[in-house]
Amino acid sequence: MKKLIGLLNQNTGVDGWKIAEMKTRSYELFFVHEKLETVRSTDTVSTSVTVYVDHDGARGDSSFAVTAAQSDKDLEKAIVRAAARAKLAFNQPYRLPRGGREPERALPTNLTDLDEKETAAKIARAVFSADCPAGGSINALEVFLYTDTFRVINSEGIDKQEKKHRVMIEAIPTFTDEKESVELYEDYRFTVFDEEKLKNEISGKLREVYDRHVAAKPPVPMKANIVLRPHEIEELLSDLAGDLHYASVYMHANLHKIGDDLQKDGKGDKLTVTMRGKTPGSECSSFFDGDGTELRDTTVIRDGVCAANFGSDRFGQYLGVETPSGELRCMDVNAGTLDGAELKSAPYIECASLSGIQVDLFNDYIGGEIRLAYYFDGEKTVPVTGITMSGKLSEALASLRLSDKKVTQGAYEGPDKMLLPGFSIL
Amino acid sequence: MPFSSYLDSQRENARALIAALAEYCDYVSVLGSDVSSTVARADRTGMSVKEGEGECGFVVKMQRGGAFYEYSTNDISGEKKALAAKILEAVACDETLKTVKSSTVKDPAVKKDFCRENDFNDYSDAQLLALCRDLSDELCKKDEKVLNAMAGISLLTVSKLFVSSKKELSQYYGWANGFLFVIYSDGRTVQARKGACGSSMKEIEKELRENVDAVLDLARHLVTATPIEPGVYDVVTDPSITGLIAHEAFGHGVEMDQFVKDRALAKQYVGKYVASPITDMHDGAAATLSVASYFFDDDGVEAHDTQIIEKGILKAGLSDLASAAQLGTAPTGNGRRDNYRRKAYARMTNTFFCPGKDKLEDMIASIDHGYMLFQTNNGMEDPKNWQIQCTAEYGIEIEHGKLTDRYVSPVVMSGYVPDLLKSISMISDAFVIEGSGYCGKGYKEWVRVSDGGPHLKVRVKLG
Repeated sequence: MKKLIGLLNQNTGVDGWKIAEMKTRSYELFFVHEKLETVRSTDTVSTSVTVYVDHDGARGDSSFAVTAAQSDKDLEKAIVRAAARAKLAFNQPYRLPRGGREPERALPTNLTDLDEKETAAKIARAVFSADCPAGGSINALEVFLYTDTFRVINSEGIDKQEKKHRVMIEAIPTFTDEKESVELYEDYRFTVFDEEKLKNEISGKLREVYDRHVAAKPPVPMKANIVLRPHEIEELLSDLAGDLHYASVYMHANLHKIGDDLQKDGKGDKLTVTMRGKTPGSECSSFFDGDGTELRDTTVIRDGVCAANFGSDRFGQYLGVETPSGELRCMDVNAGTLDGAELKSAPYIECASLSGIQVDLFNDYIGGEIRLAYYFDGEKTVPVTGITMSGKLSEALASLRLSDKKVTQGAYEGPDKMLLPGFSIL
Repeated sequence: MPFSSYLDSQRENARALIAALAEYCDYVSVLGSDVSSTVARADRTGMSVKEGEGECGFVVKMQRGGAFYEYSTNDISGEKKALAAKILEAVACDETLKTVKSSTVKDPAVKKDFCRENDFNDYSDAQLLALCRDLSDELCKKDEKVLNAMAGISLLTVSKLFVSSKKELSQYYGWANGFLFVIYSDGRTVQARKGACGSSMKEIEKELRENVDAVLDLARHLVTATPIEPGVYDVVTDPSITGLIAHEAFGHGVEMDQFVKDRALAKQYVGKYVASPITDMHDGAAATLSVASYFFDDDGVEAHDTQIIEKGILKAGLSDLASAAQLGTAPTGNGRRDNYRRKAYARMTNTFFCPGKDKLEDMIASIDHGYMLFQTNNGMEDPKNWQIQCTAEYGIEIEHGKLTDRYVSPVVMSGYVPDLLKSISMISDAFVIEGSGYCGKGYKEWVRVSDGGPHLKVRVKLG
């Protein structure tokens, strides 16, 4: 690192630089049914260097990767080439974030002191021992334990380092009988291992996959209110928030601007969405972004109205933002007023598993193919499958309802249910 | 030869490491990757030319007692006995865990060096950026309703070295992608895009320049697009949507690591009708020339051309080394990694339906009311339950056998795979492969893939 910094400082054609280094160690187990198929371990470093060149009243930048293949001479050449490339680019000038050397910070976790091999095996056993209806099983399981150490250094004095322990699990709950075999896909990402919570979640999914087995196609076409769960709520709101990113605005790629009312004339619950640096237990949590900018939580939608933009320091400067938020990856959403009793006051379809929610802001569309849902017809609830939902996004937003109960799931903290009225079901 | 000089210098290190590990393992290989890319892009607010996606490192793969073990690292130099001990310690695991059974990987003696040249060095950084700026400027100048126009080019070069006890393979190839992207406002704001890809940058430049008017024309039509009335329609697919169907319907469904896990219904349908009898479908790095046309896969298995469906009958699947060893079959050259840090899985490469004999105009003329669908947006597979979801960027209404001027967007096509494939009633004589896609396994493990084929006439649910 010292040598690289020395080479960057020696190059008189370079007006600024940034080095981003990610060291990753991982231990991974891959199971077929309940038998171990593959064990993997990784110990790698990836280093990216960006150089900045001021010329002709503009600023250009270019980046390259540092690899084991490069000798010192190769590095010198790479810096010269990147500087030449940066000189070709004419971008509006901007400053690099400033700062000093800071001690390493670590995200809260209970994985630090655990032996990775024992922990991986413990996680696998927890998944396989979850309560399971007869005929249920986990057909495939992948367990990944990562330790990431991210460091960013720049020519303006920033030298920050962050350590993150995280787990990713991919599990395939399956139900099989003599008639058929069905499955659901689930992944879990966390920084704090809670064995009981994991077992409960897997048990829940094993019950749901049984429900998929007994699910039937309801009479279609029909109109229905749709209930989304946290994963899909987060995806929908991420699309809305992404439209408010500094870079989208600067590049004229956004649809909405500050002050736009996304829930105009609506009589539902008003949305307040805050992009944040950290959600407890989420692998997306960080103290600072890839430029070294300290993350500042930012409410981007307040009471249904676009309230602020967010994003990187560079594009924040372009928009005249005094203190840019940094790249925020976590989300907090306000609770609403919908309680269980009111939810049950009218029929609805609650989506438990979608092929993937399709949100198209520009075409005012929301829809998707439903793999498993629960249809409440006003009296009883039955599992349904084989249907597609579609609706007009603006109408759905205007009258959406948010549950009064908040949950934390991945990078999302917010209502556990979102009710959207008037969807076409086919 | 443009093969990575670094990887070339690591051959002896790889051989020595394999020798050090061989006494503890039934099979050992080392894959070295040196992949880099140059990405140029410009729009009316900014521009850059820089390195894009790339990787440089090694993955050591071992088989012992049926199970597989892998270790990824940046460096295989140094004393090999110590490195071997470090690797074995790193992949050790709880010995109470039961392991799968698999046959020992066959390791035939082969030594080959492969190279597919390209013209990427004919273009300087300045020329690439100038081309992007020209295209962006031209698009912005042509119509004042263009809010912004982006043009981009990505030149990817791949060097890989594979060494096992008896095998030593090297390959070098490149692939270029270009795109035009317009943000257009006329009453409402829309986004329109056109892509170009190939192994010749000269061809990409030509295609991008030719597509300037086409992307603007598309944007002008998209501002008039309406949502589609959900329903079941007769549909003609353009080759990109045909490819998306091939990819999602039966590509994922025949990845044979899913057979091992009992995650694919297709396992029970080999030898049975799964599609209309006029349907043929292939996958393989050697099946056509596109983005996934490597010479050997990340397990060191040479590229294949696999016929998945022949005259409507499911014939074969796609395997990596580990799934083939568990199933007792020969690997098909479909073992692919996101990068050297990730596991190899059975993955698609270039996946397509074969052309038929019908003329596109006859296919359109045969539809009283329906849609022609264009441009892949995304898709999702469900190989266990054979549900499919494919999203097209837009469709054009067909009325009384003719394409109208009425656009719909977006269009989500969904249904039950056999119903969709058995509804194929006409196949055009065209054949186009789109080599600009990425494919994930679940929600991770991204690899570059191509897909395509002819136009298909199908009956399907749109919403």
